[in-house]
Amino acid sequence: MKHLVPEFEKLRERFPAGFESSLALPCLRRIQEDRGYVADSDIEELAVFLGVPQIQIEEVLSFYTQFRRKPIGRWHLQFCHNVSCSMNGAENVLAHVERRLGIKPGQTTPDGRYTLSTVECLGSCGTAPMMMVNDGYHENLTLAKLDELLQGLK
Amino acid sequence: MPGRQLIMTFPVTATSHALPEYRARGGYGALAKALGQMKPQDVVKEITASGLQGRGGAAFAVGRKWQVVQYDDGQPHYLIANADEGEPGTFKDRWILENNPHMLLESMLIASYALNVRNCFVYIRGEFDLPYRRLAEAVEEAYAAGLFGRNILGSDFSCDIVVYRGAGAYVAGEASGLISSLEGKKGYPRNRPPRLTVKGLYQRPTVVNNVESLSNIAWIINHGADAFKAVGTPKSPGTRLFSVSGHINRPGVYEVELGYPWMKFLDEDCGGIPHGRGIKCVVPGGVSSKVLTGADIANLKISHEELWDAGSTLGSGGMIVIAEGTCMVALLQVLMRFYHHESCGQCTPCRHGTGWLHRILDRIVAGDGRADDIERLYYISKFNDGTTICGLGDAAGYACSGILDKFRDEFEYCIEHKRSKFGGNLECLRSS
Amino acid sequence: MPEIFINGQAIEARDDQTVMEVAREHGHFIPYFCWHPQLSVVGNCRMCLVEVEGRGLDIACNMPVAKGMQVFTNSEEVQAHRKAILQFITLNHPVDCGICDKAGECVLQDYHYEYSGQRSLSHDEKVRSTKFYNLSNRILLDNERCILCLRCTRFTHEVSKSMALGVERRGDVSNIRPVEDRPLSEDPYSDNIIDICPVGALLSRQFLHKSRVWFLQPTPSVCPGCARGCTVQIWHRKPEWKLKALDQRQNENIARVTPLDNPAVNGPWICNKGRDLAQMFERVRADEPMLKGRPVTVPAALDEARRLIGAARHPVALVSNWGSNEELETFKDKLGEVFHCFVKQDWQRQPGERIEDDLLIRGDKNPNTTRARELFGHAEPDFKDGTDLVLVWGEGFDFARLPPRAGIIFLNSYLQPENGHADVFLPVSIQTERHGHYTNFEGTISAFEPCFEKKPGVLHAEDLIKALAAPARGHP
Repeated sequence: MKHLVPEFEKLRERFPAGFESSLALPCLRRIQEDRGYVADSDIEELAVFLGVPQIQIEEVLSFYTQFRRKPIGRWHLQFCHNVSCSMNGAENVLAHVERRLGIKPGQTTPDGRYTLSTVECLGSCGTAPMMMVNDGYHENLTLAKLDELLQGLK
Repeated sequence: MPGRQLIMTFPVTATSHALPEYRARGGYGALAKALGQMKPQDVVKEITASGLQGRGGAAFAVGRKWQVVQYDDGQPHYLIANADEGEPGTFKDRWILENNPHMLLESMLIASYALNVRNCFVYIRGEFDLPYRRLAEAVEEAYAAGLFGRNILGSDFSCDIVVYRGAGAYVAGEASGLISSLEGKKGYPRNRPPRLTVKGLYQRPTVVNNVESLSNIAWIINHGADAFKAVGTPKSPGTRLFSVSGHINRPGVYEVELGYPWMKFLDEDCGGIPHGRGIKCVVPGGVSSKVLTGADIANLKISHEELWDAGSTLGSGGMIVIAEGTCMVALLQVLMRFYHHESCGQCTPCRHGTGWLHRILDRIVAGDGRADDIERLYYISKFNDGTTICGLGDAAGYACSGILDKFRDEFEYCIEHKRSKFGGNLECLRSS
Repeated sequence: MPEIFINGQAIEARDDQTVMEVAREHGHFIPYFCWHPQLSVVGNCRMCLVEVEGRGLDIACNMPVAKGMQVFTNSEEVQAHRKAILQFITLNHPVDCGICDKAGECVLQDYHYEYSGQRSLSHDEKVRSTKFYNLSNRILLDNERCILCLRCTRFTHEVSKSMALGVERRGDVSNIRPVEDRPLSEDPYSDNIIDICPVGALLSRQFLHKSRVWFLQPTPSVCPGCARGCTVQIWHRKPEWKLKALDQRQNENIARVTPLDNPAVNGPWICNKGRDLAQMFERVRADEPMLKGRPVTVPAALDEARRLIGAARHPVALVSNWGSNEELETFKDKLGEVFHCFVKQDWQRQPGERIEDDLLIRGDKNPNTTRARELFGHAEPDFKDGTDLVLVWGEGFDFARLPPRAGIIFLNSYLQPENGHADVFLPVSIQTERHGHYTNFEGTISAFEPCFEKKPGVLHAEDLIKALAAPARGHP
């Protein structure tokens, strides 16, 4: 985390005084972007940097679905399976990907390329079914579109 | 177009979200007007007079919320735009964030001026990537143009803004859960009292408004409360953005003038149901609002009062259209899985009730339903109503009892025959 | 002073009170799990729902009083909701009272009996979680029994300030967890969370499966671990449940120590040292008087002691600051003129022990220095030339510091090598065997009561002092 401190200092300047605790989420997001996950050492260092109890950082990491404390595959495929996506074939596209990759949600391919997850509504109901690949939305998915997309994810 | 438009007033292009084009549409004129010609109290009066209701779900009067804040009480005040859009079926704030972010920013500046806010925030859900980038760009543009920072437009008014990203928690969309999250903690909602307008972010008076609610502010200041009230119905002034999804030919975000006929909207504006199917039911405003059947909505107009009379609500504007032939048992199972997944776990009834609802539905869908399961679902719903800190448990109960009220026979069938009357189908199939 | 009505009774409340506080003050009991008078309000258990006329149900613990409000703590609606809350609480709770240490003093048990009595309405599997989770070297956590009232987490954030506990994950898989690399073991107040846990989720390792609580009775006492003098309850076997065949030592052992709520001294808390009084009091005891290491009868020992006192020209007494007010006063009264008296520090800080903090723990690790100094002054022990007899009362004084040729009368409770070096050794009773009072560092006096019988060869110090002062041969 140490090399990100200058960035965090800049971030701190954007917040009013006394808002150090608020920096927990944005700093963790940045650490995760940088490392791919949040390591134990990051937790300690961030708690000290922000002057917040370490338990607060640990709680935050386990409360929010986007944080992770272990590395995952290079491409994180997150399929929405909430109402509108399910009503537009989310189960089919998910089953298709499960077959192609040979993994179930929550698993990573042995080569470390793909991690598959299901998620609840991502606010993309009008373009269902959809998935997120890392940070980006892929909407109006069809099996053909999926195949093409997976080709491009090396 | 379903009536008059206040927000979606321009064709979306590759550059229509940027500052120059917003200015070309008259953007930041309302801010200049407010700073130049109005006292902060006048702004609050104007918004109160407009009758603008919250667009996030509860439809609470924006002006009444603002009036609680004492302009000169010697403490910092905060304004937060709630962009944690997470109610299933809802993606209308995303449209504003992606396509008209300056309208939100201008409105936030006006609101900050009115409420004596030096620091305002946009809390945006962590998964929104493009909306975040568009908003962050807009903020940079606005700073560069002197619209944020010190002495805005040469006035005494100074204001800074932070775009704060969530990290994946539906409950952080609840105003007090949002504040917990913005304080860098887990998104536990908080007991009222105290109200957030008395003790909110870091125990300071805080106004949390939905993105769409706020975005109306600039228009109201530009055109006046009377002009706003002239749009919509007397009890539901203005327009609402509806995000339409499910079994519908033209899903998407629509700005609907309140009072517009519902079926006309679905049939003409949204292109009707695929494959010529009939409407089984509609989720009117996010899955936490009670479903209405095709018959219920046949003669309804889209307004708060007509929805309340019909026993539901316009909620978050997330309209999900469900065609005939859809299995409501399977649909409710999806919903209960969602609430179970999103319960923060603080309050006893919701922590255990949402999981209980989910497990019962799983069992019914798996063909292992029991005769008293329906009674049990009602029991859990009833005792989550009004018994918890936030509305998540209530919402799970409304969604559950709402569907049971209308489609009890499907559940009885599924329990008795150990299979769904509609094959567990959720998709809109061609008529056979 | 708003007037409010609880169950029809008009009550003058203070502006800053909650309905919960007013109701308690006036004898209207409202059940609760998460609320605690010394902790912030989280209002998450929802057990204290009450009905307010015109407003429906809301929780009493977070409800400010308002003039004229009509509160009903036991309406049909309230009863129905309480019953439902208990259904939800027990939905995933293992209901394993038969093997739970909390049984018998469990709030959930009591409430289920009082407010529900209904069997579970669920047909579904319970959510499983971790059992015997290692929270610290003193405490185990059963997450299945936990009802997430967050009293324990609030305690570590608001009272002990170790920030050692939090909640991991969310919903019905939320778990109390300790901070990962700074364990709860470092919190010297940690065991209070066992007491404030309303269910059997937090378990004392020391007490684990040692006894059903209904076999035990509490005796009020005072922790001698420091000058705070926290009032405690020492739990031991009830006389009617005395073991005859099994391990009879249990009859005379301290089963556990809990705080005795006392706003004047310690509030509802004590530190872990106070929990461990058994380690102090259950050291091997001395139970026979001795002359130069040779066991003798009590009268023989007393005779010899009196002879030495009578013969001494410059006798010095090292008075114990573990003596009770009564014992110290008796010493002053009976022997104060005979001996040149100094106060002796019986107990020193142990390695690793917290020195002092702003919650309870004091630097002086003895219970009655205040009264001892009031009576015998502040001077450090000093043996002028010619000291020919030293009466040492209590442990903790290095005999090497005594004048080489002086006689020694030693009063001690425990089996220690020094006992045999004394000219006269007299075994004395310990705090758990007698009545008395200590005066704490703030001058507050607290009483302790006997839990156990002393052995026949052991003397109460007070009797012993009187006997030593008696001019002729007499028996204590």
